[in-house]
Amino acid sequence: MRILIVEDEAALRESLASQLKAADFTVDTAADGEEGLYAAKEYPIDLAIIDLGLPKLSGIELISQLRGAGRSIPILILTARDRWQEKVEGLQSGADDYLVKPFHFQELLARMQALLRRAGGWSQSVLQCGDISVDTRSQIVTVGDRVVELTSFEYRILHFLMMRAGEVISKAELTERLYEQDFERDSNVIEVFIGRLRRKLDPHGNRQPIETLRGRGYRLALARAEAVPRARADG
Amino acid sequence: MRSLSGRLLASVSLLLIVFFGLTIAVLDLLFRDLSERSIGELLDAQLIALLAVSETDDHRNPQPAGPLAEARLRQPGSGLYAVIRAQDGTLIWRSPSLLGRETSLGRTFTGSERRIERQRLDDGSEVMTLSAPIDWEVEPGVSRPYVFSVATSVAPYEAQLHRFRQQMFGWFLGLLLLLLGSLALLLRWALQPVRRIEREIREVEGGSRTALTDVQPTELRGLAANMNTLLASERRRVEHYRNTLGNLAHSLKTPLAVIRSTLSSGGAPVHSNVIDQQVGRMDAIVQHQLRRAAAAGGAVVGHAGVDVAPLLNELRAAMSKVYAHKDLMIEVAAPDEARFAGDRGDLFELGGNLLDNACKWCRTRVRIGARREFDAFGRVRLRLSIEDDGSGVAPGDRERIFERGMRADEQVDGQGLGLAMVREIVALYGGELTIGDSALGGAQIEVVLPGR
Repeated sequence: MRILIVEDEAALRESLASQLKAADFTVDTAADGEEGLYAAKEYPIDLAIIDLGLPKLSGIELISQLRGAGRSIPILILTARDRWQEKVEGLQSGADDYLVKPFHFQELLARMQALLRRAGGWSQSVLQCGDISVDTRSQIVTVGDRVVELTSFEYRILHFLMMRAGEVISKAELTERLYEQDFERDSNVIEVFIGRLRRKLDPHGNRQPIETLRGRGYRLALARAEAVPRARADG
Repeated sequence: MRSLSGRLLASVSLLLIVFFGLTIAVLDLLFRDLSERSIGELLDAQLIALLAVSETDDHRNPQPAGPLAEARLRQPGSGLYAVIRAQDGTLIWRSPSLLGRETSLGRTFTGSERRIERQRLDDGSEVMTLSAPIDWEVEPGVSRPYVFSVATSVAPYEAQLHRFRQQMFGWFLGLLLLLLGSLALLLRWALQPVRRIEREIREVEGGSRTALTDVQPTELRGLAANMNTLLASERRRVEHYRNTLGNLAHSLKTPLAVIRSTLSSGGAPVHSNVIDQQVGRMDAIVQHQLRRAAAAGGAVVGHAGVDVAPLLNELRAAMSKVYAHKDLMIEVAAPDEARFAGDRGDLFELGGNLLDNACKWCRTRVRIGARREFDAFGRVRLRLSIEDDGSGVAPGDRERIFERGMRADEQVDGQGLGLAMVREIVALYGGELTIGDSALGGAQIEVVLPGR
C-alpha cells in the first residue's frame, strides 16, 4: 500500500517514512502543501497523512482541494492543536481521522490500518479470504492452520490484493502501488514475486488463489470471509 | 471636530448667528419703516402749516404772509426747507433756510398726487421731499395750479438708524457671547461624567484603580457595567494564564528530573522505556495546561451568543468519522433559539469532550440535547444533556471521573482529561455539572451554562 506523508518538520517526516517502510508500506513524502497536493494528485496513493500546519498551502486547504478534485483516498491529519474546534475543522474539510502530536507510531499505524481497511470494505484487522488470513497488525499470514513465511515484498503484494479482494488489479497499478516513485520499474519483477507468492500460498497448485487475467492483471479470487463492503464515510 | 462639546458649541453658535442675523435684519427693516413714516408725518404737518399761513400776494401768487412759525424754516441750512413753484417750475417762493442753496427742490415734480421722494441736493445732502399740487384761488373764481414742496434732511434720521444698529449689534453680540459661554459651562458640567470615566479608565490603565465607579448617569451606567465586566474577566484571564504557566513549569520539572536521573544512572536498555513514559507524562501535562489556557471563559460582553444547534451538528459529523468503526447513532436535539453566551471555541471544547466521552463508552446510541431556560434570577441559561447507552457510571465514581487528570503532576494516560476539561470550562462560566442515569441505559451528563 502506498502512503503519502505531507509534513514540513523534516525529522518527523523522515522518521515516519522509515518506520512506515519498515512496516511494509511504500512511502512518498512532501515537505509543503503544494508539493503534497501535486503528489496526491499524480501518484496512486492509498492513504495520505497530512500535517495541518503546512507552509505554502495549509493542510485544510490541501485536503479541500484534493476532495474538490474528486480524490477520495483516506486522509489522516496530524495536528499539534488538540482543541475540538480545530479537529472538527479538519474533519469537515474532508479528512477521515486525526491524530494529535506527539503520538506513538503504533497508534498512527493502527489508525492508518483502520482507515485502509474501511476504504477496502473490511472492518476487522484480520483480513480473511477463503482459508488465507492476513493479520494486518502482526503481519502473520496463515493458510488454514499453517503459518506462511513471506518476505517483505511478498507481504506487500498479498496485503494489497487482499485489501482489494475480488477486484482486478493491473500489473502497472501493482507496480505503482508497491514501488517508490523513483524506483526503476520492471514488470517482470512483479511476475516473479506473484509466482513465489502462489507457490507459498498454494504449494500443491490446486486452489489457484491468485488468478491471472491475461492482459488485464491479477485478482485475488477467494471469497471474503467477512463480506461487508460499505461506502466509505467521506466528508 | 473631535470633541462632543466642540461639535455642540460649533453647531449652536452657527444656529445662534443665523437666528440673531435674521432678527437683526427684521428689526432694522421695522426701524427704517417707522422713521420714514415719522418723516412723512412731519412733512405733512409742515405742508399744512405752510398752506395755512399762505395768502395771495400782489403778483397774484400764493406766498406766506408774515413770519413763519417754524424757526427752522427761517434759519439757513437748518435742514427743513419749503418751496412754492408755479406749475411750470418757476420758483415763486422759498424758505429763508434755503438761502444760498440750490433750489431744485420740487422742480421735477409732475402729476396730480402728492408724493414723497428722496432727493439729493447739489451740496450732497439727502432730503426727503413732500410735494403736493395745489389749485390756488388767486382771485375770486380764478384758480391756478401750484406746487408746494417741503423737505427735511435725512441726516439726523440716518444718524439715529446708525446708532440704533450699533446698539442692536452690541446687544446681540453680548447676548451671543453670554449664551455660548453659559452653554460651554453647561456642557462642561453635563459631560463631566464622561470625563470622569475617561479619567478612571486612564487610572485603570495606569494600575491605580481596578474598576470604574458605578454611580454614573443612567446613560453611562451600562457602559460602566460592561467595562467593569470586561475588566473583571480580563483580570481573571490574566490570573488564569499566570496560574497555568506556573503549574505548567512546575509540573514539567518532575518528569524532567526523572529523565535526568535515569540518564545519569546508566543502564541503557531501561532508558527508552522510562523516557517514553516520562515524555508521555509531559505531553499529557502540556496538553492539559494548553487546553485550560485556551479556554476563554467568563461572560462575553457585546456578544450575540453562539448558536448551539449547528455547532452540535458539526460535532456529530466529526464524531461519525472518528468513530466510524462503531456504527454509531448520534441524535442531536437542539432548538434554534438555544444560544451560548460565551466563546465558540469553549463550547466546541465542552461539547466535543462530552460527545467524545459518550461515543467512547456507548454501545451504539448517543443523544445530545440543548434547551433554553431561565434560572431563579430570570437569567437565560443553556442546558446541555448528553446521554449514552453504555454501562453508565456507578454513583461512587461520579465525582471522580471529572477529577481524573486534574492534578497536572498526576500520572495520566490521556483518558479522562477531556472530562476534567469539561469541568474546568463549566467552572470558568460559573455553570453547573451533574451526572446521572440516562433512559438509554448509560450515563447522562447535564451541563448548565449562561445562555442568550
